[in-house]
Amino acid sequence: MKKVMSVLGRVLLGFLLFLTLVPFYLLLSNSFKWSQEIVKSPFTLPQEWHFTNYAKAAMQVIHPMLNTLIVTFFVIVIVLVVGTLAAYAFVRFRFAGSTFLYMAIMALLMIPGFVLLIPQFIHITRLNMYNTFAGLIFPPAAASSATAAFLLRTSMEGLSKSLFEAADMEGAGDLTILMKIVVPLSKPTLSTVTIMTGLSAWNNYLWPLVSTTGENTQQIAVALTGLVRSAVEGNGVMFAGYVTASIPLIILFSCASKSFVAGLTQGAVKG
Amino acid sequence: MKKKITFRKIKPYLFLLPIFSLLIIFKYIPFGMAIEKSFFNWNGGNLNEFIGLDNFVEAFHDDIFLESVGRSFIVMIVHVLIVMTVPLLTAELLYAVKSGRAQYIIRTSFTFPMVVPTVVIILLWKWMLNGDTGVINNFLNSVGLSTLAKPWLGSTKTALGSVLAVGFPWLGMVSLGGMPFLLYFGALQSIPSDLFEAARLDGATLRQRIFRIDLPMIASQIKLMVTLAIINSLQIFDTVFILTNGGPGTSTMVPAVYMYEQGFSYRRMGYCSALGTILFLLIMLLTVFNNKFLKNTEAMD
Repeated sequence: MKKVMSVLGRVLLGFLLFLTLVPFYLLLSNSFKWSQEIVKSPFTLPQEWHFTNYAKAAMQVIHPMLNTLIVTFFVIVIVLVVGTLAAYAFVRFRFAGSTFLYMAIMALLMIPGFVLLIPQFIHITRLNMYNTFAGLIFPPAAASSATAAFLLRTSMEGLSKSLFEAADMEGAGDLTILMKIVVPLSKPTLSTVTIMTGLSAWNNYLWPLVSTTGENTQQIAVALTGLVRSAVEGNGVMFAGYVTASIPLIILFSCASKSFVAGLTQGAVKG
Repeated sequence: MKKKITFRKIKPYLFLLPIFSLLIIFKYIPFGMAIEKSFFNWNGGNLNEFIGLDNFVEAFHDDIFLESVGRSFIVMIVHVLIVMTVPLLTAELLYAVKSGRAQYIIRTSFTFPMVVPTVVIILLWKWMLNGDTGVINNFLNSVGLSTLAKPWLGSTKTALGSVLAVGFPWLGMVSLGGMPFLLYFGALQSIPSDLFEAARLDGATLRQRIFRIDLPMIASQIKLMVTLAIINSLQIFDTVFILTNGGPGTSTMVPAVYMYEQGFSYRRMGYCSALGTILFLLIMLLTVFNNKFLKNTEAMD
């Protein structure tokens, strides 16, 4: 009985994994096919590998991917800097209004993004940031920095007080303590924040959709929904575009899968 | 000396200055605007007149909006059910795999789809669900079930169901199945093994073990995921917008897509702000309700 259960369990697990991966197999194999073959035999491996699909897709996705890379990079940098400074202030200093200010940051986590969609759009336009990188970077950075401050504060509170006291005795300034002690010891949380923030910046669809137009600042998620296909290749070029857009994160994931898992799960605390 | 003391006093605020500049400019001001403009007939430009509660009155008589809120409750129920079942089952099944190496490989295979951009997954499913050229119909035809083939997204009967099915079995969709799966599995792994040992010695059956040990030990993670599913389901946008844009008719219209349409297609930005305010209050209410009844145990790490 127990044997049967365990075999059944494995079969079921294998089936779930199969179902999860099938769409990606279809995506990958069809990305090398041309339209006729995709319609006729979507499940088989390509009879002929059309690498030209990728060349054609690259022309459409490389530019938005670079744009998204720029945005993602700056969002991460801003969130890390701003979040670390804030967390440090809450952990290290006692000052008037600290509880209130902390609550003011946490309250933001309660406001759903789309409630702010219209006013943020108008506001950005007024600040002359419509269709600019600044407009793409700052609002998402603001949203993520609240989460970052929360996570970093929690992890910094775990640092030993005597560490700070010793540093104070040595006469180290706050910036030195921050850079030499706190940041190195907070690395796991910093990498969690980096991954969470990076994933959401790379995935962001709604905000780029409303705050940009045209190709200069176009983000990858928006570009993917508008990929142009030609008659011969059909969906092949689109699929090649989807695969290309997924590659950077998959490479990063393979290099740091442990941090990714931590980043994905700790992101849950956000709510 | 005196100068030094004042510097000490303002120092904490200097550390907080960057985050608050960011939050005030890009979050608080827009939030204030969102509330304020709820009371205006506003097109984002020259038309800007105060109309009191008219937007709210209209919202409560707007069938499309009310239906979209109702629909988001359906989405919510489905998402809550998903979060409580498939990832939990998968985590248990993976936990039952004895070899640590196999566990690692399987977990990693489940995790990699989570880093594929969400839009890619949605677009992929859009193609799979396509009526004429989609693989799902192609598959049904090839196994002799062509009677089941239908325009999944194009018919009012199946559109909402198809939208909800995107990503099935949802383990590759981060917030729906992926994150819960990783979280539950991590929690199972951190249960002290002597607990299982004791249970085994007492002759506990698998069922007893799951209900007496596993579930209570990961209860707080499940609650957290349910809470998040509730909040996120009311905000569902990308999937619906890309797959159906609320159609056919209004059969998949959800609040966020409706707001987008009112705000950007019709430029009714005041009305759109009012809808946002209503939804914000609704989410607040649900969160309070949630905290009361699910009694968050704050047992994350």
